[in-house]
Amino acid sequence: MKIALINGSPKAKGSASGLILKELQELLSPENKIVNLHFRKKQPGSSDLQLLRNSNVMVFAFPLYVDSLPSHLLSCLIQLEDELKNAAFSKDCTVYAIANCGFYEGCQNILALNIMKNWCARAGVIWGGGLGVGAGGMMPVINSIAAGKGPKKNFSGALNTLSDRISRQETIENICFSPNFPRFLYKLAGEMGWRKAVKDNGLKRRDLSRKQV
Amino acid sequence: MKLIIHDLTEDTLQKIYPEIAAEYIIISDCDNIQPCIGCFGCWLKTPGACIIKDAYCEMGKNIAMCSEVLIISKCVYGSYSPFIKNVLDRSISYIHPYFTFKNGEMHHQQRYKRDFDLKVIFYGGDITTEEKETAQKLVRANAVNLYCTVKSVTFLDSIQEMEALDI
Repeated sequence: MKIALINGSPKAKGSASGLILKELQELLSPENKIVNLHFRKKQPGSSDLQLLRNSNVMVFAFPLYVDSLPSHLLSCLIQLEDELKNAAFSKDCTVYAIANCGFYEGCQNILALNIMKNWCARAGVIWGGGLGVGAGGMMPVINSIAAGKGPKKNFSGALNTLSDRISRQETIENICFSPNFPRFLYKLAGEMGWRKAVKDNGLKRRDLSRKQV
Repeated sequence: MKLIIHDLTEDTLQKIYPEIAAEYIIISDCDNIQPCIGCFGCWLKTPGACIIKDAYCEMGKNIAMCSEVLIISKCVYGSYSPFIKNVLDRSISYIHPYFTFKNGEMHHQQRYKRDFDLKVIFYGGDITTEEKETAQKLVRANAVNLYCTVKSVTFLDSIQEMEALDI
């Protein structure tokens, strides 16, 4: 089976989407042909479109931007919709999506997953369902923690379910989850991070609240 | 003041709005908008303004100056068109990076302690029921995050229908 893993983050490296796909890939059977793509610009590269041909499965992972998909990924999907109508693309392709947001609650990704489902209907491919990952900002921090342990318990469970369904090209209900980590601590840690970052940029804590008018 | 964010041609906008008040802020697609790169520079380097220096770097300020925002967008998969979405992605400097809880969910705090009215017009010839439902929910979710009040969400089959609207 040919599986395309598509990172939809505009970040060149270190994105939560990239880390999530890396963990997913480790769960997929090595017998599969895995293709890794990164849509960072408004247009997919022509070589990207070539690589996607005859994929049985596509998995998109992306950050939530303003309750939806990042604009560059939306542009790429419009072009991909046209390509998918081309005969060279598999008609039984199943599409899964993994949206991650900075908010604690994974369910805040649900509209982005619905948009991906609507795209599938337009493009004539099968919607396989998706994951809504909360507290995506924690991903780089918990990356080194063993799968299934501590704050990664829910994440690993959902990823296992997804990889299992992918291997059978089955459709799942969306799975939305938060990390196994207290919400108030996530808030505190996040805000501490903002204060440190603004100071590292030579500004003061109060500058975080600067107004332009 | 009113802010209009649209993805129409200038000619079409002129037909819909023959007399645009001079104080209105109009955000049009000049074909050179840069996408948000998720750097958080608008919160951490130049708080309140996007660090990408193009015609769209002051969206947070633009929203803060307006009591009404009108979005006119093609409906794409139940979302806004890429241009409108790009403008919104570049507008997060309007809110504060700190978190708060609303309706039991985490959201960002307000940078500007104020409200504004939001009207959205989606157009497209074959918008499906599912896409309409998604788009309705999307606008309401945006309103929660941007601390604004949704006044209307309208779906039109064609741009021509807009000319008949009193907007």
